[in-house]
Amino acid sequence: MHPALWVSKTGLSAQDTNMSTISNNLANVNTTGFKRDRAVFQDLLYQINRQPGGLSTQNSELPSGLQLGTGVRIVGTAKQFSQGNLQITEQPLDMAVNGRGFFQVQLPDGQIAYTRDGQFQLNANGDVVNPDGYALEPAITVPDNATNVTIGKDGTVTAVTDDQSAPINLGQITLADFINPQGLQAIGNNLFKATNASGDPAEGEAGLAGLGSIEQGSVEASNVEVVEELVNMITTQRAYEMNSKVVSTTDQMLQFITNNIG
Amino acid sequence: MDKALYIGMSGAKQNMLAQRAHANNLANVSTTGFKKDFAQARSMPVYGEHHPTRAYAMTERPGTDLSAGTLMDTGRKLDVAVEGDGWLAIQNDQGQEVFTRTGSLQIDVNGLMRLPGGEPVLGNGGPVALPPFENVEIGADGTVSIVPVGGAPDELVEVDRLKLVSPPSGALEKGLDGFMHRKPDQAIDGPEPPDASQRVASGFLESSNVNAVEEMISNLQLSRQYEMQVKVMSTAKDNSEATARLLQNL
Repeated sequence: MHPALWVSKTGLSAQDTNMSTISNNLANVNTTGFKRDRAVFQDLLYQINRQPGGLSTQNSELPSGLQLGTGVRIVGTAKQFSQGNLQITEQPLDMAVNGRGFFQVQLPDGQIAYTRDGQFQLNANGDVVNPDGYALEPAITVPDNATNVTIGKDGTVTAVTDDQSAPINLGQITLADFINPQGLQAIGNNLFKATNASGDPAEGEAGLAGLGSIEQGSVEASNVEVVEELVNMITTQRAYEMNSKVVSTTDQMLQFITNNIG
Repeated sequence: MDKALYIGMSGAKQNMLAQRAHANNLANVSTTGFKKDFAQARSMPVYGEHHPTRAYAMTERPGTDLSAGTLMDTGRKLDVAVEGDGWLAIQNDQGQEVFTRTGSLQIDVNGLMRLPGGEPVLGNGGPVALPPFENVEIGADGTVSIVPVGGAPDELVEVDRLKLVSPPSGALEKGLDGFMHRKPDQAIDGPEPPDASQRVASGFLESSNVNAVEEMISNLQLSRQYEMQVKVMSTAKDNSEATARLLQNL
């Protein structure tokens, strides 16, 4: 078969994947704490069809050979951990990390997942949980009679209760940071898991050792830039169309030879 | 058999090879830092003990277009685009020093700077390794500086400098791994010397230098050429059939 068919097929499937990445970004334009992905393209290996420097006759050499590429692939999607805008919500348990670092929540199986989504709520026991009901780690429990919960920039949680004049300390929220956040595995629901590529989490107090501060009463918006995604979508569509044009041209060539010779 | 049949066939086959080269360029229209390959045809006389009446066409890759792509703003500090005609030196899978313009740098778990494909990026003395940092900056001359963990924003520490090289463009060819290599006859002893005058732009990536329209037109043109070669083959077939008929009627 015509080799250009396979090559342009790799182009089509790579642009296809790119389009899914872009549409996933656009779909999450309003998702709190979402970090956009960018597809990373890489050319595939090259094959030697004719060796440069091969002998064309006993006394002469080919000055250049023929090395043909085999197409393109998407080598990965790179998450862009740039900061999203901070939106003020005035909810006492909404938190945003201003800078590096992730909130930690405990999954039902006991593992720790990491998130930038700081929309926390209380469950029936007074535990601080994320919208899926997973408990914040380290666990913070707010007593029934608390009237006002304050979260400091360093993560210290205090509350005022009816029966005491002095605020009581409910604990401290710590953040986790990774040397290579791009290596985190996104598991959906705004959560990430640590992998060998991301390295082990370095847990610490917010605002210290490179970690961002915790901002109470605000959440971090998605870092998707709509205009950029739309422009990427247009270029992806055009690249796709041109690759499919190669497929149809190639097909017509094969059709032509089968109709005219035989 | 009529020799024209074989010549037409070789023409059609070489057109297909050239089309594959153009299809590969077009497939890589979105690949960061990709440099398109040229394809050209050359006449190859048929050697042997006969009259020198025939010359086959032969497709070859005379080289790679090293012109720069446009710079795309990404805003990511570890994305670097080489300005001018320099190259980033990296290490390929075989441990050789090769050159690329793909500057989407990543930091792995050990702090090593790598390309998305995992190839280590070379600095002043071997692969660039960064200690844990709060913030990283890549200067215009490739200097990598960091704010170490726990450091104040004004405590920038210079860690390493990206190795930027500028081998003569005639000495480079694209290797089978897609990176640029020194041609075997242009090889030098030891590593490529760094060129201090090269500049990079941090926060940018270089787009592919493929001109999609040009590639598509080449593809259509080759497709028409192919049809003409097929026409030669079918004419040769008609001639051969006519001869057979004449011989039958004798």
